[in-house]
Amino acid sequence: MTERIINHPVLGVLPSMEKVSFTFDDQEYEGYKGESLAAALLANGIRTLRVHEESGLPRGIYCNIGHCFECRVNVNGLEGERACITPVSDGIVVKSGTTLPTTVRDWRKNNGK
Amino acid sequence: MQYKSMIVCRCEEVSYDELVEVASANNCSARELKLRTRAGMGYCGGRTCRTMVDQIAHKHHPRPDCEISLKYQAPIRPVRFADLGEVK
Repeated sequence: MTERIINHPVLGVLPSMEKVSFTFDDQEYEGYKGESLAAALLANGIRTLRVHEESGLPRGIYCNIGHCFECRVNVNGLEGERACITPVSDGIVVKSGTTLPTTVRDWRKNNGK
Repeated sequence: MQYKSMIVCRCEEVSYDELVEVASANNCSARELKLRTRAGMGYCGGRTCRTMVDQIAHKHHPRPDCEISLKYQAPIRPVRFADLGEVK
């Protein structure tokens, strides 16, 4: 957890909190109990939470208040969970979004232009 | 799609340049601009970009008195089908 601010000039030293472990795309990570999934992943250096379903460009935290649905991930098999407002808990399995087939677009003559 | 300019609608990935281009070429209303580009029709339902799409359209096509701003489409936030009715 190298990205975390442990000594803040105004807020002081980060109090020690209970650690939990979870998996993101089959890799094990550690976070603090009660913090948001997006924060825990950011602290582990992960900024890409999913890719755009059509273009495959990376997406991550955007509004961070549960408004924009940019950080949606798959949590324990539930699709479309917002990482920014989901508290991280022990043993949850998180999967990032991938590109989806765009059959109608692929049929079009001007596909890719 | 390549990074052309600032993205306005992140769900449908519509850039500012694209919106200005379509708005000026078609001199269209906000609703027409939305339907032509799909800006504001993505996963979040336009909650992030609706006002921006509105503003861009009305720069090229002054809003008539009878026209209202882009509406909120039901359901106003993404809902799972399972939440609407239990799947058995």
